[in-house]
Amino acid sequence: MDHPVGPVLRMCDEVESVVAAIRDDNPDIDIDVVDRGSYVRVQGPGRVRVTEASLQRHLGPAFELRSLQTMLSSFAGRIHTSSDEISWEWATKREGARA
Amino acid sequence: MTLLKREEWQHLVREVDWTLSYVDDEAVYPEWMSGTGKVPREAWAKWEEDYKVSYPEYVATQREKESSAYAVKAALQRSTAWENLSEGWKSSTKMHFGGVTLVESEAVLAELKMARFGLNGSWRNMAVFGALDEIRHAQITLFFGHEFVGKDPQYDWTQKMFHTNDWVAVSLRNLFDGMMVTSNVVDIAIQLPLTFETGFTNLQFVALSADALESGDVNFANMISSIQTDEARHAQQGGPTLEILVEHDPVRAQWVIDKAFWGSARAFAALTGPAMDYYTPVEHRKQSYREFMEEWIIDQFVRTIEDYGLKKPWFWDEFMKGLDTWHHALHMGLWYWRPTLWWKPTAAVSKDDRDWLREKYPNWEKVYGDKWDVIIDNVNRGDMELTLPETLPWLCSMCHLPCCVATLGYDNRWRVRDYPLKHNGVTYHFCTAGCRQIWWKDRDNLNHPTVIDRFLAGEIQPMDVGGILGYMGLTPDVMGDDPDYSWAADYKDRLIVPRVPVAGA
Repeated sequence: MDHPVGPVLRMCDEVESVVAAIRDDNPDIDIDVVDRGSYVRVQGPGRVRVTEASLQRHLGPAFELRSLQTMLSSFAGRIHTSSDEISWEWATKREGARA
Repeated sequence: MTLLKREEWQHLVREVDWTLSYVDDEAVYPEWMSGTGKVPREAWAKWEEDYKVSYPEYVATQREKESSAYAVKAALQRSTAWENLSEGWKSSTKMHFGGVTLVESEAVLAELKMARFGLNGSWRNMAVFGALDEIRHAQITLFFGHEFVGKDPQYDWTQKMFHTNDWVAVSLRNLFDGMMVTSNVVDIAIQLPLTFETGFTNLQFVALSADALESGDVNFANMISSIQTDEARHAQQGGPTLEILVEHDPVRAQWVIDKAFWGSARAFAALTGPAMDYYTPVEHRKQSYREFMEEWIIDQFVRTIEDYGLKKPWFWDEFMKGLDTWHHALHMGLWYWRPTLWWKPTAAVSKDDRDWLREKYPNWEKVYGDKWDVIIDNVNRGDMELTLPETLPWLCSMCHLPCCVATLGYDNRWRVRDYPLKHNGVTYHFCTAGCRQIWWKDRDNLNHPTVIDRFLAGEIQPMDVGGILGYMGLTPDVMGDDPDYSWAADYKDRLIVPRVPVAGA
């Protein structure tokens, strides 16, 4: 996979549902799941996002986006957090970075 | 009532810098603490974290994390889970408890320094969360380790280790004091959140949790992977700091990353390497140390620094070659000098172990197999005194780990080399070219004397193994030994070739 980015989720009951939500939110890309038991690496090429709306579809309407942080042991790519979604992006050179 | 979205109000609480009028900026953010260096003061105004969190979110989320981690602990406390763990795996956790608990506490100081002297209000705000995180980590690690003190006195070193002069403590204090305490906050942000927490802690807290779970240690796997969810957030202080530093002083940015990377790589080779490739029972190893390093450091971390326009460190070739040697040699050294440890290092060189090692590290047998064979023969003959130390290993003046790195020479022979350096009339010795180079560039820093330096200066009395163990704080109920030597039984019928001295050999 080129430019793999995405979350690394720790062991918990909700992993399957979070992966399902991520698949729903990224319909145009292949989401790859590497299961190492105590952690699951979820990755897609370039940019991966997950929305509170999708998480609530899979985990119930009471699930808040911030609770994803309790599962997020690590991640690949640059994270962006808003109140509706979290995304991980493959950044090319940052503004100000040397050529 | 409809609440505003966080992004609609957060700028009001993030951007809290104002122009000082009663005092100079330098009085509030002195250079020796804030360390702006060649970066113009105003450049820090654009510091912005990617991973945003508000205080109410922080508190609610941390409460969930704590409830969950302690619920698992409470449930398992009533089971026989701990009794059923292998001694090898328990040693991985003892090493972690002793080696990590007070580093978490030291990290509180680093975060507080950034919370006070960070050059942007948003940064200081993130660092407050970071300090609260690290208080949690010190407490949870101490508390989880404390549960087992009554069952095994080695767990007492969870709290005690960093207060001793054990050589591991001296080595880790040297590394982490430089990374977390003596640096200015810009260098702290590059060394600690960026290099250490975005890179290396993933290895000990996420990757190792895979081995923990396979080994049946649900409690430990749960604790460390929960801790790393905090790291994933506060580690994000590194990115925006690096982005600004790279723009104005890329040479400094590269050097600070390189130095922190190398120091971390040496320490992890000594601690995480043996835990993954030896102490975790072979049937429970998810991947080798090298494979975990490739997943978390080579792929993920290098991608991060290249994202910022930096290069791989100058020592990259030496580091990559070291992935096949450093931790194997250090494991053998830890085992041989086992009375100096607060855990029970299993040698883990049974035939099954060796098959696995050969598969993962094609040169393993050639470089280390014959040395272990000598130890195996001594164990099987009952010559245990020959397997125990009478002297000390030479410790590297930079990383304080034993000088034991074998490299392949042009004559196709593996040899442990010394990397000496003469400075002000003193010859220093180093384990690698990387350690020597970093020491030279940083030679005006205060470097802790190694335990060997202290021994030779007469600080350790009496000057024998007993005196050394006493100096390190080791008591007979704690000092390490192989848990059962059962791995040697695989070789009891091995044809032992007498070691005949050969002229010229």
